Amino acid sequence: MIGESVIDGVFIPRVLIVFLLAFAVSLFIRRVLRSFNLYRFIWHAGLFDTAVFFALAWLIAEFTVGVTYGIAN
Amino acid sequence: MIRNPYNLSFALANTAAVLGALYIGFALDLERPYWSMLTVFIVAKPISGAVRSKAVYRVLGTMMGAGMALFLVPPLVQAPMLLCLAISAWLGVCLYFSLLDRTPRSYVFMLAGYTVAIVGFSVVDKPEAIFDTMVARLEEISVGVICAAIAHSVFFPQNIAAKLNERIERTLNASATWIADALRRPPERADARSYQRLAQVVTELHLLYTHVAFETSEIPRATPVMRALQDRLAVLAAHLTSVQEALVALREQAPLRSPLVRFITSASHWARTLAEPRRTSDNRDIPPPWLGSFADELIDGQSLLEQAAANRLATLLKALEESRALAAVLKDPTSALPGHLQSEVALSGRGRLHGDRVVALLSGGAAAGACLIACALWIGLSWPEGGVAAQFAAIGASLFATLDKPSKVLSGAVLGVLMALPFGAVYVFAIFPMIDGFASLALVLSPALLLLSLMYTSEKLEPLALVLAIAFSGALALQATYQANFASYVNVNTAEIVGLLAANTMIIIFRTIDPVWNAARISGAGWRDVSRLAIGDSIDVQNWSLRMFDRVGLVMSRLRDENLPQALAGHIDPLRDLRVGLNIAALKRAECEFPASIQVDLRRVRVDVAGTYDRFANRRPVVARDLRASIDKGIESLTTQPPSASRRAGLAALTLLRLDLVPSAGPYVPEAVAA
Repeated sequence: MIGESVIDGVFIPRVLIVFLLAFAVSLFIRRVLRSFNLYRFIWHAGLFDTAVFFALAWLIAEFTVGVTYGIAN
Repeated sequence: MIRNPYNLSFALANTAAVLGALYIGFALDLERPYWSMLTVFIVAKPISGAVRSKAVYRVLGTMMGAGMALFLVPPLVQAPMLLCLAISAWLGVCLYFSLLDRTPRSYVFMLAGYTVAIVGFSVVDKPEAIFDTMVARLEEISVGVICAAIAHSVFFPQNIAAKLNERIERTLNASATWIADALRRPPERADARSYQRLAQVVTELHLLYTHVAFETSEIPRATPVMRALQDRLAVLAAHLTSVQEALVALREQAPLRSPLVRFITSASHWARTLAEPRRTSDNRDIPPPWLGSFADELIDGQSLLEQAAANRLATLLKALEESRALAAVLKDPTSALPGHLQSEVALSGRGRLHGDRVVALLSGGAAAGACLIACALWIGLSWPEGGVAAQFAAIGASLFATLDKPSKVLSGAVLGVLMALPFGAVYVFAIFPMIDGFASLALVLSPALLLLSLMYTSEKLEPLALVLAIAFSGALALQATYQANFASYVNVNTAEIVGLLAANTMIIIFRTIDPVWNAARISGAGWRDVSRLAIGDSIDVQNWSLRMFDRVGLVMSRLRDENLPQALAGHIDPLRDLRVGLNIAALKRAECEFPASIQVDLRRVRVDVAGTYDRFANRRPVVARDLRASIDKGIESLTTQPPSASRRAGLAALTLLRLDLVPSAGPYVPEAVAA
């Protein structure tokens, strides 16, 4: 998670990319949950969404540890 | 304020957000952590959806503005005059576009405008740092926004849907009571205020519902249902006044006949039971039917008026019943809509409110002018802090531009800054020298932060709290190392006040608008809309009626009671324009059912109505002379048709048009009788 990626010469912190990815996935998950009306089983949607986001961010960071493409030295 | 546990949890959440933002800002070594603090205060609202929508809009707007600054500053930095002109022009253009959109989304453009001033003016003496400054500003703002969004959605958020549902419930009850009363008596002056209130509620629902898309996830998104509900609410007042006018005209000729009286009594009774929160009887779901005979063979003026009144009353009751059903679905999304409503809801458009180009242009001009004045002072006096004045001129002229009288609030803002100064000075010069480290900073700041956050929860204190919080954060100017210098403290804060005063001056010059004149202009936009509807081919009246009803609220809120007679003399009666439009639309719908020769007659009526409204718009408030003749011709040719639902609808529309546009003509007399 620490480190920077280089995209076309611009240094971008990896954590930013991870967070953006996690946010996109969490938006999708929320939409699916809402379309099935599953939020009625969840006590506190705001808290739940935040937790899902951080869990996703951790997962993505964990699984992209080995990915070295474009990582600056 | 403190009694309500939600207010306390809001204040705690907000304080946590501010401290979190400051902590992250310090930990990441950002250039100006106080920008994160300021951002938290700017987006804070006691409703989670509003915070989250503003957060998204703020990031988007800042990105646009920072990008523009990157584009403008490097090439123009050697020519300060040109740079000031370019930035002011961009500010004005952005404010113009932002004011055309009255939903919260307009914040994006407003920010895109003044962020350029903020970023651009702070780097002119070191233009090589523009990219870093831009990124820093973006980072600080993002940190603030994210902290606020998380804090206000995690700590016991209050959602806007519940508030809106409560408001809808109250409005529906009030409207039903009002309809029940108004049916039994002639129109009164006070009715004007009732439909003004209804119009303002409908507009507000439209504006506030934008936030629902950003609410925490358990809140259902039902924009089409809301739009359908607005369309129903928007026509209630128009139909009710149609009925009232027809009844007045009928009573002038003869006492009402008994089928109509019975219908009105049962309708009024039904509306009253609808207004009561508890179910009193089982048949309240279905409005009473019109039991009188339609007497299709009778075509004298009296029976035409009777049928028109009954027709509109039935439409009114249907709209009221459907609003109830839609409101129930908004409240409980698992309940199903009746079948016919479902297809209509699926078709409902996005809806657009009245947008005022002239006022937007004036505000844009005022903002650009204020920014230029501050720049002139900055360059002319070689005043080192002049850039701050230009920034605050831009902010002040933009932030309050949506209001009717921005200068009043802006003067309040100047006072707020003056009030925050000693408060900030105590912190900067007495407290900060004695502390060290983030924990002690958090401790000394939290009482002030809690107090300011608590002020946000009261509707009255909120604007003041916003100004105080911004000025307080700015005055503290928290940075990683303590650097207090009394001279620069005074200098920077003087610049803020000078900037706000420049903005205020320009706004007083450009935006002091006579409300009666403004009401006439808004009405004029409505007239052109009616004329377009009358000639155009589209029969989509839904988006149209929302816009017209919005104008009803805008016009009526600008006219005081003593202006009303004079306004009516100038044909300023937006509710009548809405009625005429609805009748025109009903006529168009009926038209296609008839043979071509009759279609020609009906089209003639529409063209004449359009001509009349074009005359209104060109400041010749006289009804076209042949309008009455063409309406009578239309009625006459329709009566030759065999009885049908569209004949009835067409006759009702024509009769009501005649009543609205040529009221002096007296009752309709069939040609056969007249001859």
